[in-house]
Amino acid sequence: MTFVDLISQFAPEIILTISALAIMLIGLGLEAKEKRALGYIAGLSLVLASLIVVFRGTYGFPLEGIIADSLTIDPMSQFFKLTFLLVSLIVVIASLKQYDNHQNQDEYYTLILFGTIGMMVVASAVDIVTIFIGFELASLSTYALAGFNKKDPSSMEAAIKYFIVGALSSTLLLFGLSYLYGLSGGLTNVSDIAEFFSANPTVIQSPLGIMAMMLIVAGFGFKMALVPFHMWAPDTYQGAPTVISALLAAGSKKMAFVAAFRVLLIAMIAVKVDMAIVFTILAILTMTIGNVVALSQRSLKRMLAYSSVAQAGYISMVFVVMSPEALTGAVLYVMSHAFMKTGAFIAVAALGYMLVKENSSAKDVDHLDNFAGLGKRSPFLAFCIMIFLFALSGIPPTAGFVSKFILFYSVLKGGFVFLVTIAILNSALSLYYYARVVKYMYVLPPPSSEKLALPRAYSLAIFLALIGVLAIGIVPEPFINWAASAANVLGL
Amino acid sequence: MDSVLSLILFIPLIGAAITLFTKTRESARMIALIASAVPLVLTVMIYLQFNSGLAFLKFQFVEKISWISSLGINYYLGADGVSMPLILLNAILCPLTVIYAWGENKQPNQFFALILVLQAGVFGVFMALDFFLFYIFWELTLIPLYFLISIWGGPNKDYAAIKFFIYTHVASLVMLLGIFALYFSTGVNTFEIPVLLQAFADIASPEMRVAIFLALFFGFLVKMPTVPFHTWLPDAHVEAPTAGSVLLAGVLLKMGGYGLFRVLLPMINGLGQYRSDIITLMAVLAVVSILYATFLALAQKDMKKMVAYSSVAHMGYVMLGAAAFNFMSVSGAMFQQFSHGLITAVLFMSVGVIQHTVHTRKISELGGLADRMPKLAFLMMAGFMASLGLPAMSGFVAEFLVLTGSYLTLPVFALLAMLGIVATAGYHLWAMQRAMFGSYNEKLGEPHDLAVYEMIPMAILVLLIILFGVYPAPVMNVFEYASKIIPGVM
Repeated sequence: MTFVDLISQFAPEIILTISALAIMLIGLGLEAKEKRALGYIAGLSLVLASLIVVFRGTYGFPLEGIIADSLTIDPMSQFFKLTFLLVSLIVVIASLKQYDNHQNQDEYYTLILFGTIGMMVVASAVDIVTIFIGFELASLSTYALAGFNKKDPSSMEAAIKYFIVGALSSTLLLFGLSYLYGLSGGLTNVSDIAEFFSANPTVIQSPLGIMAMMLIVAGFGFKMALVPFHMWAPDTYQGAPTVISALLAAGSKKMAFVAAFRVLLIAMIAVKVDMAIVFTILAILTMTIGNVVALSQRSLKRMLAYSSVAQAGYISMVFVVMSPEALTGAVLYVMSHAFMKTGAFIAVAALGYMLVKENSSAKDVDHLDNFAGLGKRSPFLAFCIMIFLFALSGIPPTAGFVSKFILFYSVLKGGFVFLVTIAILNSALSLYYYARVVKYMYVLPPPSSEKLALPRAYSLAIFLALIGVLAIGIVPEPFINWAASAANVLGL
Repeated sequence: MDSVLSLILFIPLIGAAITLFTKTRESARMIALIASAVPLVLTVMIYLQFNSGLAFLKFQFVEKISWISSLGINYYLGADGVSMPLILLNAILCPLTVIYAWGENKQPNQFFALILVLQAGVFGVFMALDFFLFYIFWELTLIPLYFLISIWGGPNKDYAAIKFFIYTHVASLVMLLGIFALYFSTGVNTFEIPVLLQAFADIASPEMRVAIFLALFFGFLVKMPTVPFHTWLPDAHVEAPTAGSVLLAGVLLKMGGYGLFRVLLPMINGLGQYRSDIITLMAVLAVVSILYATFLALAQKDMKKMVAYSSVAHMGYVMLGAAAFNFMSVSGAMFQQFSHGLITAVLFMSVGVIQHTVHTRKISELGGLADRMPKLAFLMMAGFMASLGLPAMSGFVAEFLVLTGSYLTLPVFALLAMLGIVATAGYHLWAMQRAMFGSYNEKLGEPHDLAVYEMIPMAILVLLIILFGVYPAPVMNVFEYASKIIPGVM
């Protein structure tokens, strides 16, 4: 591989890096008011990177082992890169209005871009050290972003909780990965490790090996917010600036999934350690507890956080089933969920922005009561929230339905009737709390009859997410095919 | 005419989108009327072209476009003898409902848009020949009705709407499990309903076949609904606005019955040694529904609730006819679906008018309405008579065929069901007598008789009820031939 090849393969990352650095430099000499332009730079670089991923890198780049076998470009990496890029793009667009006069916009956009780069590194990484580095790059950026509203105590609390739990999980993960490294005699490439353990199964079935697997599961479990490692998520999502909650739920959490797909699935297949029981329990606990707790939430951000926990439970069924179809479903679910969740969080952020503008002392703007009569006060916003929520509960014709359909289908195909029945019951349960918000928006009378003016930046961001949700729902074929080819690269 | 079914399906959807953005009530209802009437014209056109002599599972006006090819999912529409009359029913009822709701002044643009979405969803269910598509439309019907109940409903609307939503959504999910199981067990790698049904009998494990059957059955049972899964229905009806009730009882319940004929009956002979157990189960559920709901109707104080329970009982005849599984009973049951759609619409419209003019539906508070509202009394009386099965009305043809047919194969159940007819006559006549006749209850104020827009749809419905009661052939022939050729029914 020549240097030019290398650059062209990683053009999206390179573009983001350059623009992140540029934003930092340019920001030094600008007044707060002028810094708005930096957001446009960030947005443009994300658009450019997404276009490159779509047009150049989706198919036909099965390049294994770039830079000392640590990175790869394959349909899986490209699928997730596109997901992360679009999520970040939507978040950046939504931030344009939220922070248009903020002093620290340059840091803000730089951090978003660095976080995105970290996620993209994880998407491409096939080496445990590289995965860890990508993870830390994304995590450090998002820790800071979660606490971006420095004067707001709950934002600080969110950041601190997220940081402590994140550091703990990184430690556990690193611990587990270092065991793998040691047991395999110094291998870092994921497929090399898998190969080694297939040849020497006794090594991984030793107590130390099982310990390593458990630590890795726990490490990823924190990042994916699986029960019982989920406690940080609701507090963090609630306290963080709402647009950043979107980035956390739709971006950095999904990053954990792609890493887990690569590391856990491959390692588990190779060593035939029967993790199915562990993951069955984790999946059932995650979806059930997530849904049951979401039922009683009155804060929409917390509700979305718990629903996100529940949805992670559905996705984690793939670790039980471990079939190409299940992985296809899970991969597609990750992208669908990214759109639905980003859309929902951004919509909540938009409402919060409008309510604060209307009444600057407004508190708890994401409380359910604030959604009363939204259908009259802001028809477009209410309509989009309704679509996002129905999509999350899996009602056709949305992305949520298609991906749930394929995921449940594959789990049933794998013969796990019990598991899929629980998932379906949970899905029915979830409808209750999603429909309740819709009821508030359309049925209850609004507190004031004055229309809310939705800023254009928010409309655009929400509209993009809406297109994603509907496109996957109505024309699912290309997405399914891409997800299937992504699933293929792991060779389950 | 290649894509006429798609046209019928999408015109209401497009109409809904336009209606939503109208500013005035006048334009909203006008567009809604046009968007629901054009499908009626198209449906009548294809009804006239329809070849009712073609075998069951031979579809006409077929459209098929590949959608998700990796899973064998197609956009696949078609109509046959089972679905064609129900498509017609839906096409008739929706414009009439729009006319009936002409005076709606609470957010009329949303109201009419939802009715149109509902119409499109029901069309989709009756036309879809791919299970994936079928399921999408099946679920799509939930959302508009949920809003119709929860925004325009009565005092207890929140409870009723969410109960309706959750109840039927859970049933749909169980049905989805059944669809998956059918898909995997047959291994045909397509979601086409006819193909799957033909492959059903080849599934090796008989237990699997029964499990699939029951999962699908459950989905349809709740929708119909059959006792003991009926409790959402009276709540939904009582709280729903009249237009919602008309469409709920008139076409949405028919989706459950349609599922019986489209999906379950062709499977019955594939059940092997469990066939007779399943038939007994169906017959028991049917008779329990008929008797239990009839006696509950007898005890109701609220007239709308009474009509709601009568719907449960009448759908019981559909189930009974299906269970008896012979040509006469099955075609009678299919005809019952069509006929009940018309009759129940008149009943709910009558009750709606009463509620609207005298602001109560309590039978004991009414009395002597015939004095002040003769037009209403006449049309309502006609509806009640049709509902209790008076000869020369469509209800009679249906129930006669169902009972005669089921007497051939399920004599005991048929006799029990006949008891229901007696009680049905009882509660209808009793309610009429107390509400409409006797001396006028002065506390009710000075009611005005039917408005023109209320009278037109009711009169049209009554005419149709009598027309199809005297001359059922146009609809009956279509059903008859279809039911003859359901595998094993001869």
